Amino acid sequence: MSQRPEDILKVFSKSEELLDMIQRGRAFTEELMAENERLRYRMVQLEAERVSADEIHKREAEKLRLEADLAKQRLEFLDRRFHEIENENKDFAQRYIEVEEQNESLANLYVASYSLHSTLDPHEVIDCIKEILLNLIGAEEFALYVLDEDTSELALAGYEGDPVSALHADRLALGEGLEGLVAANGEAIFALGASDTGEVCACFPLKLKEQVVGVIAIYKLLAHKRQLTDLDHRLLELLAGHAATALVSSRLYAQTDRKLKTWEGVMSLLRER
Amino acid sequence: MGRKSLLVVDDSATFRQLLCMSLTRLEGISQSDITQACDGADALRKMQTRDFDLVLTDVMMPNLNGLELVHRVRSELQNKVPIVIISTKGEEAYVEQGMKNGANCYLLKPISLPRLREVVSGLLAM
Repeated sequence: MSQRPEDILKVFSKSEELLDMIQRGRAFTEELMAENERLRYRMVQLEAERVSADEIHKREAEKLRLEADLAKQRLEFLDRRFHEIENENKDFAQRYIEVEEQNESLANLYVASYSLHSTLDPHEVIDCIKEILLNLIGAEEFALYVLDEDTSELALAGYEGDPVSALHADRLALGEGLEGLVAANGEAIFALGASDTGEVCACFPLKLKEQVVGVIAIYKLLAHKRQLTDLDHRLLELLAGHAATALVSSRLYAQTDRKLKTWEGVMSLLRER
Repeated sequence: MGRKSLLVVDDSATFRQLLCMSLTRLEGISQSDITQACDGADALRKMQTRDFDLVLTDVMMPNLNGLELVHRVRSELQNKVPIVIISTKGEEAYVEQGMKNGANCYLLKPISLPRLREVVSGLLAM
């Protein structure tokens, strides 16, 4: 079969186009392969990074968990300490109140004993006992009996309130009535609490060592005072001792003073002769 | 709180001494800051010659009682000094009369010393 030169040239021209296309296809394929290689490399890199990040995250999570455990322990410790300190605080507050009460008690006791021993006048001592009973203890009706050594009777030395309703007599024999009984036995009698009307029975002996020198009887507390407190009991105990000493000292001083004045009068008369 | 001058009025020397002892525990008050008066008339005389930052007075006193003292301090002396009444008289009539006459506070005997200091420091801070 014979071919014309134009046909032959046309075939050559197409084969060159084909060759060009094949070459471009090859170049494109090589590009794709290179890109594929690059992506595979990148994928390996990312995989490695992912594994590394997972490790870091695991370590971080573990670290955070440990820190959380520590924080929880610390919180529990602080919570315990907080409660301990809170309890200590309450304890200190309670002790502060107790110390304040003790201070109040000491101030009352000091003032009462100071006043009792600040005079040698029997009347002033009795007034002082009355002031203590009224102002520091809150007794509204009370009586002070002093033992008369000559007759062994209790003689009324002072009172506050209504004497008719409260007191039995100006003089009482030992063992007679509550006051006489307390003087005879030397033991105090305290009621547990005041009644609705404020009446109370507190009767205690004034003792010099074991010797009873008088009796204080409280018949009624002030209306706003419900009952005798611990402080009142301590004050009454103090009164029992110190009032007795003050009373006896002042009486002895008064007797001695009278004798001294008598002797001074006698001496003066003798000197005049 | 600077130095304050107080007047304690009571016919009972024992109670006056107790009040003085308790009040000197307050900051800024020493024994020399407290003047004592044995009754209302004595207190009135002292108030005419000098000023006080606070007056504490009993009710039942000879010569001039505490209620009358409060009345005269407010009406005659025109003095607005805070006055605290401390009395064994807890009846409503006494309390009402005391407050009506111009007292700032009415406390009852036997008194709680911490409560007294609380009231006094409150009035002095006003």
